[in-house]
Amino acid sequence: MVIVMTGVATIVFFITRIIPADPVGAILGGNAPIELVDKMRAELGLDKPIHEQFIDYVVGIFHGDFGHSLVTKKPILEDIFTFLPATMELAIVAMFFAIIIGIISGAFSAVKRNSIVDHATRVFSIMGVALPVFWLGLILLFFLYFKADLFPGGGRHSLFIFPEKITGLVLLDAIICRDWDTFKDALHHIILPAFVLGYAHAALISRIKRASMLDVLQQDYIRTARAKGLGKRVVIFRHALRNSLIPVVTVIGVSFGDLLGGAVLTETIFSWPGLGRYLVNALLVLDYPAITGGTLFIAFVYSLANLLVDISYAVLDPRMQN
Amino acid sequence: MSSKKRSAFLRILLSGIFIMFTGVVMAAIPKNVLVIGQSHSNMKTMDPHVCYESPTGSFVMNLYTQLVHISYENDKFVIEPDTATSWNVAADGKTWTFNIRKGMRFANGDPLTAEDVVYSLKRVIKLKKSPSWLLTDTFGLSEEGIKMIDSYTVQIVTNGAPENVVLSNLANQVGSIVNKKLVEANDKDGDMGMDWLVDHSAGAGAYVLKAWNRNQAMIYTANKNYWKGPARLETIIFKDVPEAAERYLLLKKGDIDVAFKLTPEQLAEISKGNMARVVKTPGQSNEYVGMSANFGPFKNPKVRQAVKYAIDYNAMIDKVRGGYAINNQQFIAAGYFGYKENNPYSQDLAKARQLLKEAGYADGFDVELTTSVTERRRAEAVIVQQNLAQIGIRAKINIMQTAQMYAKFRKQGIDLIVAGWGNDYPDADALANPFANHRVKQLAWRLNWLDDKAADMAEAAAQEKDSARRAKIYQDLTNYWHENGPFAMLYQMVETWGVNNKVKGADDAFGGAYVHFDFYKLYK
Repeated sequence: MVIVMTGVATIVFFITRIIPADPVGAILGGNAPIELVDKMRAELGLDKPIHEQFIDYVVGIFHGDFGHSLVTKKPILEDIFTFLPATMELAIVAMFFAIIIGIISGAFSAVKRNSIVDHATRVFSIMGVALPVFWLGLILLFFLYFKADLFPGGGRHSLFIFPEKITGLVLLDAIICRDWDTFKDALHHIILPAFVLGYAHAALISRIKRASMLDVLQQDYIRTARAKGLGKRVVIFRHALRNSLIPVVTVIGVSFGDLLGGAVLTETIFSWPGLGRYLVNALLVLDYPAITGGTLFIAFVYSLANLLVDISYAVLDPRMQN
Repeated sequence: MSSKKRSAFLRILLSGIFIMFTGVVMAAIPKNVLVIGQSHSNMKTMDPHVCYESPTGSFVMNLYTQLVHISYENDKFVIEPDTATSWNVAADGKTWTFNIRKGMRFANGDPLTAEDVVYSLKRVIKLKKSPSWLLTDTFGLSEEGIKMIDSYTVQIVTNGAPENVVLSNLANQVGSIVNKKLVEANDKDGDMGMDWLVDHSAGAGAYVLKAWNRNQAMIYTANKNYWKGPARLETIIFKDVPEAAERYLLLKKGDIDVAFKLTPEQLAEISKGNMARVVKTPGQSNEYVGMSANFGPFKNPKVRQAVKYAIDYNAMIDKVRGGYAINNQQFIAAGYFGYKENNPYSQDLAKARQLLKEAGYADGFDVELTTSVTERRRAEAVIVQQNLAQIGIRAKINIMQTAQMYAKFRKQGIDLIVAGWGNDYPDADALANPFANHRVKQLAWRLNWLDDKAADMAEAAAQEKDSARRAKIYQDLTNYWHENGPFAMLYQMVETWGVNNKVKGADDAFGGAYVHFDFYKLYK
């Protein structure tokens, strides 16, 4: 994990410096005179040789200092922890949708192989992978918000609700404070974006689950279980379902990291104030400290998710403990 | 799963769905609240002496008073009293005396005096942030030149710049008066409260910044101590809605009152409905084609004129802006001092070809046409490319990231460019300098148009105090520039908003945006 983080930190630093772009120009705009551009470049240390900038950057990281955002003027870590809860909450609910829908549909599809259920599930999976998030989000907003009035039109909660901030996760904070109006409002707001974000992952999980389940159902021990006279449900729920989970868990782990870092489009369409939008804004104005700090953080989450996946193998399959 | 467990699970599931679909009532916007939907991606700080973004600067302006206020009436900018009730200029044309309104209070109740005015103007110069040049460079304000005569009189010394240049810059958000006591109380390591003012306000304007949750919403509440009396709208919520499609749906549904930056197609749809309307005003920016006078063919003024005759200005306005633009071929924007309609060019391909032939380029030439990635600029570049092809000029479009493009442009490295310019203050001087005076190292210099005659005229106009003579210099400069300059002005922007019909006063409030942008005039 340390090697991965070091590699990411180095690559991100040099990529942001090598691309032929000018962060100061992006911040000041096209009107800014050269004198102002040069002054700001010096203030930000961008006039120093690149190796000196890299040393400053590495020393800063070792002191827990990722620099200050050129836009918000706040320390990067403070910014990340301001915007992370919104993304985290969205990713958790999206993952919940993805797991429930993906595992149930995948398992059904495998058990009812070549039936209408199987075909419908496969179409659902292909659509999930093929439909662009941007398009799906706008279509759902149009029909379910604008036409049918079933869901609100974006944001984390209604404008006239002011949630108590404890963890930054609005749903959890509302439960802690027993503020059920806020909880219902926030739940109402999160369903559409979480579904849009989770759909592609549900489709992926469904496909993996189906393939894995089909494989398990052909194993000798399943045949043995059936031969012993166990009921169909017992065979599926007790033997096949759990044993076909290992590849699914791998996908879930990677997907969760992906959801945290890749919620950019969903956050934009649904005005979700998360880390994805923070990073997009940072990219648009070439906010170097925010780009490098945010990317490092997402790399850390990815690595952590993969580590947890590896650990979970041992729980699911005791043979791997050896 | 036993049947009991299954039925319990189903009950919970159904209850959950019931809550989702029926448990929440979407609240209508109260009458004393205005909700604005716009993208916050460009919002960095609400410190009036640091902020240099549009439209954020005009939002900031509503949190503070300035020495003078700029209004927009009958298609022209007008200077009105604000913190200063009156002012006069000494015979030297440089020493200005402002009489401060007595009894004025900041939003927190502290009295506003000349001490606050002096502190504020000096703060701009000490901080030396992006907008400071509007005071230091345009009319030569220095720390030594700012004096408190008594508690209600302030004197400033300028470089003798004309009245409109001085007053229109003092009316800008950079001229905002901050509460010295409050700002000093929030000083951190000698930053003059800069960190604190990012998301707080310390002014005497119509509104107070109550909260700003980045990427969510910013909330203004009416200042009960505002010298004109509290605003009719008690609360303004700036909801961050980054997507134009979502802003459009929210407006149509009545979940926001004002939508910023809608597409021409969305504006056309809004015009058809009866829930909202389109409010528009001439904008403070223009789009242009710039030709480097250092690039082979463009060294010849005839080739530059040929390009100007090749462009189909009307098609550009219709296709790119859906009609929401003004055919204004001079650098002075409509509504500004010195503006007089002057559009000598319209598409005339025969004349353009003749000019090319006279310049020795009858067979045309190849050139790289650079522009930025935005949809609008790409559309403009394609039309320019097509128009140039009609007279034999083969332009190859090169699309760059905006910041990357300007970095190259600042180094005089672009031969042909499609770009835009946002005006900094409502005076011809704000545009004559970048477009005609190479000595300020702005657009004319970037395009290698090092024309001393044009630069002399721009500088003479900037120092001329007689308004009639000053206007005449700008007209002469405009004519000279039309004939010789390296710019083909595509259009002046028209700013537009989708506004719910319940909102009144929007035409007055948004007129002249974003130089003038006055939430105080809005009500429901």
